[in-house]
Amino acid sequence: MRYLDFKKFSIYYDPYLIISITLLSILGLFFLYSASDGNTSVLIKQLIFVFFGLILMIILSQPDPQIYYSYSGFFLLFSIILVFVAIFFGPEINGANRWISFGFITLQPSELCKIFLPIFIASYLYGVKLPINLSNTFLTIFLILIVFLIVSSQPDLGTAIVILLSGLYVLFLAGLSWTFIGSAFAIFVISLPFLWNNFLEPFQRQRIATLFNPDLDPFGSAWNITQSKIAIGSGGIFGKGFGEGTQSHLNFLPETETDFIFAVIAEEFGLVGLTILIGLYFFIFIRCFYLSINARDRFCRLVIGGLSLVFISTLFINIGMVIGLLPVVGMPLPLISQGGSSLISFYIAFGIIISMASHKKLVPR
Amino acid sequence: MTEINETYKEKISFNKRLIFLYVTFGILGVVFYYQIFNLQISNYSEYEIAAINNKNEEISVQPLRGIIFDRNGEILVNNVPTFDLITKPFFIDDPDDFLLKLSSFLEINEEDKKAFLLQFEKAKTLNKELTLKQSISDEDKAKFLVRSHMFENAYVGKRYLRNYLYPEIFSHSIGYVGKPNEDELDEIYELKSLNTKINFTYTNQLIVGKTGLEFVYEDILSGEFGNNLREVDARGKTLDEKISSESKVGNNLYTSLDLKSHQAAHKSLNNRKGAVVAIDINDGSIVTLFSSPTFSTNQLANGILQKDFDELLLSEEKPFFNRALRGRYPPASSIKPAIAMYGIEEGLIDWNFSIFDEGFFTLPEDGRIYRDWKEGGHGDTNLFKAITQSSNTYFFDLAYRSDINQLNKHLSSLGFGNKACIDCFEEDQVFVPEPSWKLNKHNFGWFKGDTVNMGVGQGYLVSTPIQLAKYAYIMANKGKFSDLSLKKDLVKSEKSIEFNKFSNDDWFKLHESMVNVIEGNTGTARRLREKKNYIVAAKTGTAELVSGDNREQYSETRLDDSLRDHALIIAFGPMPNPRYAVSVVVENGESGGSVAGPVAISVLNSLIQE
Repeated sequence: MRYLDFKKFSIYYDPYLIISITLLSILGLFFLYSASDGNTSVLIKQLIFVFFGLILMIILSQPDPQIYYSYSGFFLLFSIILVFVAIFFGPEINGANRWISFGFITLQPSELCKIFLPIFIASYLYGVKLPINLSNTFLTIFLILIVFLIVSSQPDLGTAIVILLSGLYVLFLAGLSWTFIGSAFAIFVISLPFLWNNFLEPFQRQRIATLFNPDLDPFGSAWNITQSKIAIGSGGIFGKGFGEGTQSHLNFLPETETDFIFAVIAEEFGLVGLTILIGLYFFIFIRCFYLSINARDRFCRLVIGGLSLVFISTLFINIGMVIGLLPVVGMPLPLISQGGSSLISFYIAFGIIISMASHKKLVPR
Repeated sequence: MTEINETYKEKISFNKRLIFLYVTFGILGVVFYYQIFNLQISNYSEYEIAAINNKNEEISVQPLRGIIFDRNGEILVNNVPTFDLITKPFFIDDPDDFLLKLSSFLEINEEDKKAFLLQFEKAKTLNKELTLKQSISDEDKAKFLVRSHMFENAYVGKRYLRNYLYPEIFSHSIGYVGKPNEDELDEIYELKSLNTKINFTYTNQLIVGKTGLEFVYEDILSGEFGNNLREVDARGKTLDEKISSESKVGNNLYTSLDLKSHQAAHKSLNNRKGAVVAIDINDGSIVTLFSSPTFSTNQLANGILQKDFDELLLSEEKPFFNRALRGRYPPASSIKPAIAMYGIEEGLIDWNFSIFDEGFFTLPEDGRIYRDWKEGGHGDTNLFKAITQSSNTYFFDLAYRSDINQLNKHLSSLGFGNKACIDCFEEDQVFVPEPSWKLNKHNFGWFKGDTVNMGVGQGYLVSTPIQLAKYAYIMANKGKFSDLSLKKDLVKSEKSIEFNKFSNDDWFKLHESMVNVIEGNTGTARRLREKKNYIVAAKTGTAELVSGDNREQYSETRLDDSLRDHALIIAFGPMPNPRYAVSVVVENGESGGSVAGPVAISVLNSLIQE
């Protein structure tokens, strides 16, 4: 929306997003310091990611959206190739091939797909007439499914689900016909039992089952959720204080630095702390909503809408899991959980969002 | 124009759909926030407790048992520190590997290894500690300590052993401690509301009194468990442990038992089968309660090889059998003063009444002969002579003229057939043979001859050494007595036997006759006279196990050790103001005077000559 006009060049930025994202990132460092038991090396590594991530975000805000439109195919292809590199050449960690190692850091290329897939679909659907016809619909869904299947074969169900959603959001926002949505939904419901039996791994089925009946398996997959609920519940209104969470620091809570960091925050800062945190996220959503409604063209609208929904979905899946309303699936708390890949991918997303929001369309003379 | 329309239409559609998605997330957000509110506000206390219970573990702390003293303040039982090698199976991944690592510098015997591996899995799942090696030497301790950095899952811990200072001397009276059995275990956990995890103070972990005073006074000795609050992490690793309530050491037990008299009894019985019981006449407290042969209570409490235990258990000598409280012996001639009392009280005899003893008594009903021990008899025999020389014929005659029911009543009042002691472990109260009992048991009516046999303490009449001691005590104290006891300074009411005819003069004469058993020139125990420097009253007895009808038969039975007569004596002294009463039984000892007598005298010497 705005830019600083220097003599030779301009800097494009959105003060609301930049301030709230920076604030959230700093808060995240603070939370991570406690969640990692005061591990400074974790903190410093994350700090470096945050610092360069924020710079990357500013840099990516500068090009005209036209660039992203033109190169969307290239970006998507590039990230898919990186995913294949991870699958075939990456180190195997816990039975999964999700990472590419660069010596001092390892990155997860599938995180890029959730950014560049929606951008590519937005560019593809940019000129398509309403309502989107069947062949375009199927082509798009086909593309989404391919990327989804590649990522889920790593295996990485969490990221794959977000990628699936990111594509579908753009398709939906671009004007997918309601008839199609209705019939697809009907088919999905009908085929649920089939999917349940053939698509999900036994441990995933178990996770869903324990969601509805935690007593089924108090020491297995329900253990994490039970401990997470205890952590959140025992935080109360004001929490136990920074570094004082017993659930977090005595290892009752799993994955405190990544998937379950929300529970650490809840335990140590209580409902008050959570409300502030959620308020910040809420502010970012509202800002993104405003920006996408007022975007300069259809492409920008779709990208801002799609990327912001990816951000929201990640947040909701993470919190839903931690508070015991959704099955356990690996998903970071955006901008806070430890992990460079997730962090960088969201900075990229917001960089692109700001670029699209702050560049006005050049009105042809 | 169409393009603008198209764009406008598309923008409206986009806005609607975006709003639709945002509203959907908004609703989801409200649901999530409601859930968080539920967790943190509505159910806060429940989760707060859950978080505390997660990290806090209540641990019971075992108390030390009280110390046991003898009547003079000598320590008989205490607790001695020892060092054990204790493991934490929860932190051991491979037990075999762990043992291998330890064995490289410590000698661990196969039995310990086997026991460790057997209990390993259970201890691991419950996160309980497991003792691998008890009472390790200082050298082993040092060897381990220099390598302790390699063993996060094991440590050398200070523990205690229950220590019996005179393990072979108080085997039956004090008894021993041991691991509780299943029932006792449940009771302990419930009664003392113990936590599943216990910090043990003893090497043998939970211990309870199994026999003797350790059992009877368990409640006094055992003390009170304390409580620790342990903070643990999710792995069960202890981070901090605070005392919430100290354990209380059990109360000390001050007994009336006398160490020296036990040592004297042990020495003079010299592992022969038998028993010694001595009583302080002043208050009826037991000073000696000794059964022979004995066994080591330290072994029983702190570990004995199964082989050795079986040997003790199956031994012909039956060392576990408490003869002092449970051995059934005919009182034989030692009963005679009691029968004499009965005769005087009932007016059947007096001190002047005499018979001519020709060596046997003939039952008028059927002409059956009851022999005296002395061939040819004692001739003219009055009561004094009958007691001093132990004439059977005199007492056959007296018993023959007695009413069995009245006689039984009299014997009961002297303690026969009743529990003698109020705090003894598993005392056998035996019985006084009633006619109705014989009918039930043997399907025969009561014969006059049965009464005649009772006159010399044979036949169906049996008693335990402690009953004999109590009887001696009542005799010494002229009919006044308290219940016997082992705990010092126990408040007891004094009882006395009611007499109509039996007078103080009769007491004097009875005592005199019993003094003559030792001090008189014709007394059955006159050989004891020189073994002491004070005057003792006594009555000997020789309990026949096989009643031979003639002397040839009797000589044959003497060849078999186990069929030989039991030697008995009851005694009290120093006369004329007796302080201690004692009974001695020596199984298969044959002669009361010459075998049981010296034992009684050496015990009295230890008590009287300080």
